[in-house]
Formats: sequence, C-alpha cells, structure tokens
Amino acid sequence: MDVLFLLIPLSVLLAFAVLGVLAWAVWAGQFEDMEGEGQRILDDAPAKVAPAPRGDGGA
Amino acid sequence: MQAALISPRPGSLPINANLKLSDIDRLAVLDDPAEWRLFSQPQGDASSPVAGLWESQVVVQGMHCAACALALERSLLGLAGVVATQVSAASGRASVVWSAALTRPSVWLTGPLALGYVLTPASSAQAPAHDRQQSRLVLWRWLVAGFCMMQVMMYAVPGYLAAPGDITPDIEQLLRWASMLLSLPVVLFSCTPFFSNALRDLRKRSISMDLPVALGIIITFAVSSAATIAPQGWWGHEVYFDSLTMFVFFLLTGRWLEQRLRDRTAGSLGKLMQRLPDSVERELPDGRCERVAVRHLLPGDLVRVLPGEAFPADGQIVSGDTHVDEALLTGESRPLARATGAAVLAGSHNLSSAVRVRVDQTGPATRYSQIVALMERASVDKPRLALLADRVARPFLWFVLLAAGGAAAFWWSTDPARALMAAVAVLVVTCPCALSLATPTAMLTSAGALARRGLLVRRLQALETLGQIDTVIFDKTGTLTEDRMGLQLVTTRPGVSTAQALQLARALAQYSLHPVSIALVIAAGELPVDGSDESVTPAVVDVTEIPGMGLQGTFLASPVPACSGRLRLGSARFCGMEPSASDTLQVCLADDSGWIARFDLDEVVRADAMAAVAAFRAADVDVKMLSGDRDAAARRVAARVGILDVQGDCTPQEKLLRLQALQQRGHKVLMIGDGLNDGPVLAIAHVSVAVGKAVPLAQAQADLVMPGGQLLTLPAMLTQAIRTMRVVRQNLWWAAGYNAVCVPLALAGWLPAWLAGLGMAFSSLLVIGNAARLSRMPRMPEVH
Repeated sequence: MDVLFLLIPLSVLLAFAVLGVLAWAVWAGQFEDMEGEGQRILDDAPAKVAPAPRGDGGA
Repeated sequence: MQAALISPRPGSLPINANLKLSDIDRLAVLDDPAEWRLFSQPQGDASSPVAGLWESQVVVQGMHCAACALALERSLLGLAGVVATQVSAASGRASVVWSAALTRPSVWLTGPLALGYVLTPASSAQAPAHDRQQSRLVLWRWLVAGFCMMQVMMYAVPGYLAAPGDITPDIEQLLRWASMLLSLPVVLFSCTPFFSNALRDLRKRSISMDLPVALGIIITFAVSSAATIAPQGWWGHEVYFDSLTMFVFFLLTGRWLEQRLRDRTAGSLGKLMQRLPDSVERELPDGRCERVAVRHLLPGDLVRVLPGEAFPADGQIVSGDTHVDEALLTGESRPLARATGAAVLAGSHNLSSAVRVRVDQTGPATRYSQIVALMERASVDKPRLALLADRVARPFLWFVLLAAGGAAAFWWSTDPARALMAAVAVLVVTCPCALSLATPTAMLTSAGALARRGLLVRRLQALETLGQIDTVIFDKTGTLTEDRMGLQLVTTRPGVSTAQALQLARALAQYSLHPVSIALVIAAGELPVDGSDESVTPAVVDVTEIPGMGLQGTFLASPVPACSGRLRLGSARFCGMEPSASDTLQVCLADDSGWIARFDLDEVVRADAMAAVAAFRAADVDVKMLSGDRDAAARRVAARVGILDVQGDCTPQEKLLRLQALQQRGHKVLMIGDGLNDGPVLAIAHVSVAVGKAVPLAQAQADLVMPGGQLLTLPAMLTQAIRTMRVVRQNLWWAAGYNAVCVPLALAGWLPAWLAGLGMAFSSLLVIGNAARLSRMPRMPEVH
C-alpha cells in the first residue's frame, strides 16, 4: 500500500492539471459554439483564412 | 404588391428588419469614421484608426443553423478588406475584422445580402465582450466547483466504505490533505460571489441567504482544515470537505442555469435593440439634400421626411400635408392628419406623403426622450415585495446561528472538542442547501415551461410576485388589439352589392399606403374568387391622393352599371356628404352621381382577448384598461372584450399616477402593454408583460416578454405562478421539517458528519425533484 503515498499526491497534481486544461478551454471559447465546429468538418470548401478572433473580444 | 404595402405600425419593427435596396443608401451614414466607434473597436495601433484594422460587432438576421454560419463566414471572407470573421449561429451575432484602408462598413455589411443574410451593426461594441466575460466566469466557477467536488468525493468515499482499521491513520491523513488542497480553489475562487454578497448584506445591515451560506462555508472549511493540520486540537478531528464542495456545486449549478436563462432572453432582446443609426435628409442652404445621422441635427434645420420614415425630432411641418401614426407615443390608434404648420413628434411615423419639417427640439428635449426619462425614474420606484425565501429564512437563520452558538456554549464547559463538533454539525446539517435551492429550482423550471409557451421570463422574482396579483391592467392599442384596422360594416346604396362596393374601393385603395386603404384592400382580398363580375377589380386611371381627404380616379369602363365618371374614396366631406356622428372611422365611396357605399372601420381585437379577460375574472382578478387613445375608442374595445373599468385619454404621466394610486391602496398590479407610452407603467407595476412586437424600450422595462402575443397564455401564466409558489412552499416546509428533526440530533452531538452530509444531499435532491414537476403546464383551451 506504500504506493498510495505516491499516487494520492499524484492524483492531486493531475486534478490541478485537468483544471488548467479546463481553464484554457473556457477562456479560449471552446464552450461558446457547440454546434458550428461539428458542421465545419462537413464543409467541402477549404477554409481560405484561419477563422479568427478567438479570445476575449480581441480588443 | 399588397405584401409590400402592408406594414402595420412601422415603428414596432427595428428600422432595418427587412433591409430593402433603398436602405443601402442609408448605410452610407455608417461610413463616417465618427460612427464606427459605436459598433467597432480599433485593433492594435490606435494612432491611425482610419487606416488600421477594426473589429465590428454585427447582428445577423436570416441565419438558422450552424451551416448558415459557415456560409456567411465564407461570404464575408470573400470580400476585399475583410481580414477575419467569426459567426456564431447560436447567438445570431458575428464579429468582423476589416481594414479601414481597403473597405467601408456599408460595403461589407451589404455583401452577404445576396445570400439572404441581413447584417446590422450591433448598438454597442463593448457590451458583447463584457457579457461574454461574465458568462465565461460563471461557467468557469461552476466547472471548478464541479470538478473539485468529484475529486474530493473520491477521497471521501474510502472513509465511508472502509471498516474501522482498514485505512491506516497516515493514509487517512494523506487523503484529508488531498481533499483540503482540492477544496481550496472551490472556497477561494468559486465561492467569491457568496462572500461578496454576504459582505454587501452585512454593510446594509440585512440578512439574506448568502450570509449563512458564506458563514457555513467559512466555518466548515476552517474547522475541517484545522482538523487536517492538527488533528489533536480542541476542534475535533472530523472533516467535511465533501459536504462543502457538493453544497457549493449545487448552489452554483442553480446560479449558472439562471444566468443561461437570462442570457437567452437577453439574446433575443438584444437582437431587437440593434438598429442603424437613424439618418435623415437634411436640406442644405443651396437646396440640395444630404443624409446625416439624426444626432447631428440642430434646432432650426430643415429635414425631409419620406412616407414610412419616423420623424427624427420634434418639429413643425413647413410644407406638405400628411398623416402620422403616433400610436407608440400616445396610444392613439387612428392615423392623424397633419397639415402645413402642424407640430410633429419625434418617434411618430410619417404615413402618407413626403413633408419638409423644421426641427424645433432635438435629443433629450423631445417628447420621446421625456417619456424615456419618466420610465427610467419609474423603474427606480418599483415596489419590491419581500421574497418568500428571505421572509421564511430570516428567522430560521437567526435560529440556526443561535442554536449553533448555544450548542457550543453548552458543551464547552465539559468537552471543548465536542462543543465545536456540535456547532459544526448544526451548521452543516442545516447548511441551508435545501432552503436556498427551494426557490430558484422551482422558479427556473417554471420559467422554462413558460418559455415553451412563448413567454420569456426576464426576472425570476416576477414569478413570486405574480402569485399575489389581484389587478390586471391592459393597454389597448397593440395589446388587446392588433396593429391594423379591420372592416366592420359596409352600407351600400340600392343596386350595389357589398362585394361590388369593396371591389370599387380596392380599385382606388391599392394605390395608397394609408392604413384605411390597406384595411380595405385586405377586406376585398378576402372576398370569394368565383370568376363572376363581382370578383374583378375594375381598372381606374388618373388616381390622385389628396392628403387629409382621400383618393380619386377615373374609370376606364365601369363594371357596375349604376356607376360612372370619377370615383372618390375618402372622408364624407370629400365625397360631398354630411359626416354622420359615429365613433368608428368612416370612409365613403362616391361617383359623379353621388354616394355609393360607406365603410365602417375599427381596430381588430385579438382573437383570444375576450377569453383571456374572462379567464382572469374567473381567477378572481380585477381587469382594467388604461389607454392613451380617445376615451370612446377605448370604451368600445373594452365593451367588446368584456372589460368594465376603462379609462381613455391617458398621457404616460396619468397612467403612471393612476397605477401608483392603485398600488397605494394595496393592490398588486400586473401591467400588460407594448408601446413606448406604456414604458413608465411597465417599469413601476409589480409585474409587467410586454406583448407582441413591443418597442425595445418597453421590453427592456418588462419582467416578462411575450413575442407571440397569445393573450390566453397570460391567465395560464398566473396559474403557473401560483403552482410554482405552492412547490416553493412545499420545498420550504420540507427543509424546515428536515431541520426540525436533524438540528436536535446535531445539538445533542449524535449526528456523525457523514450522516449530516448524506441527509443534506438527500434533501437537496428531493427539492430538485419536486421542482421538476413544474416543467409540465396544464393544457390551455384552444381559441378560434
């Protein structure tokens, strides 16, 4: 059971890492448009310009 | 042709609802760099804004799905000078980055028009970014609480499941440290709204739900942390991290759902608020015209106002005769004649012919702005009824705090560890979770059910107030009636049938935009088409419209044997007859030999108005009407829908005074209206509903918005509100009963922490389940 002394602290670190990923996802607007991105893959025409300004208003 | 003619109450739509080709000229106003800042922000280097990049916020109409968003995105990117764009189908908005050196707003705004997408600049560039920040923050708080809760729960479960002695003390201690670390972000970050609200309450010397919540969070966390860091201390060795995080997560879930609800209704309102800057043709000294934004107008300017346009400022007609629609400002349902020299009001609509107007008052000095100011003042005076949860909670909260303190004091002398444990158990077990969830869950569910019926709840508290309503006040024009005139009665001379008379009238009326003409054309269009002579509209040439009088024209060949020569349609005097005394609007038809027919027109009452009034009365609610229209017209409509208590000829100030008088007599008033003149009363009523295509300002003041205008939903809304409050009360009783059992146990020190946590979770789930019953509304009777 000694391995728990390693695994439990590791799980805490992992939880904070996941929180970090979630933070990125929220503030990069990943939850803003839940449908559009799914449709984009069905779109035949290649995108000419990278769809822009993500982030908080870009200003 | 008719479809283009029929545009009842132009002011009830945003000016560009259907952007026509003629409107593209008006977009040129947007090419003035001074206007850009209203809907755009310069990007990067702001030193040379005219040459740099701008990011603009626009509202998109005509977009229905995510695929539309892609098509629009591509079409925008295909335009020269558009650097980047992001279109959101969900919110109906887009942001466009464009280069001022290469393009102008009027160019890229009209680019996607060919695809059927109408772009309008959003009224404020900053608001969407701010709203987005807010909704992201709420989501982020909720996600942190949820994720940490799951993780803390994992550390807590072994403690619940393992037999005594299975977990060695050092492992248990490690699990506690892990729980504490993961509770930190919840307490320090996710809970900040509770803390700031509690502080605000303390400063105001009041007590609300947020105070015991904050207190519970702080004490629970402090005691648990102390027990983790120094298990041997007098504060005992129990930890409550799992209860704490779960409690916070439940509360934040409620708040997040509420925020989303508000965003959704705000979204649909936000769309209506978007508009082009109003522009107007101003005459230059040399006689030429230029199109300028309304806010550049000065008193003394001469402006030309075309039919269908709104008057930009209060002023005086210098040349031309026309009719104006002041329904939104005064509630007057009939078009009013305005001849040279007459005064016109900003915000009213020019109906029949182009006029030149000398501007007298602009901006805040106009009647329009005065009503808006009145409304803003009224909204501050809105009576707020004490909320049930707070009313019940306040004594309860004091009781809990005292009980916890008492328990601690009682045990302190004998056993300090037990004293604090008992106090914490009291706080945890009563941790007012069920109590604080009781109201919002029920109201959110109810608001969802109402939204499916076409009623958008903008303020959840309104549902609670609705349950106490005893008086309903309707506005007339646009609320009980539709936005158009309808034909009531046709009287004809012997030998002419009703159908023939209508066809003759249509022959002339189809050339005019006057509301009466439109009503006659619609009525003629409803005649049966059977190929006989009576279903053919005769051809008329040389049609002229004489403002204030009527229309005249000459037959090519008279279809009705008895009629000949020039045909006239208009006022009785215009047709060479004595006007008869009548309340309704009368139009006559005559030829050279005299009178042919008379048409009586009146407002069209909504189909379900009568049933709605009856349903209100059946629910023991007093129904009244306050109208800005003429008293006679108000009384006529009231009689048709069954309202006994009527008052016409009300200015916005009078409406406000009458409503305040009712409120002072202790009545709880529900106001239903649509026009700008209703704005102040909507703002001050206990609960207010904006109906139909209400002007944005009226909607902004209303607690509920009903875009569809099915009046029968309103009594159903009252019933639903009463049901909601019943569920809230049940929930509160449950919470109280649960506490009555558990608090003594906790006081005695018999309630272990895990049982307290479990009991709390169970009572919360029960409350949520009870509220879910509200999502089904009873069926409404059908009308038609």
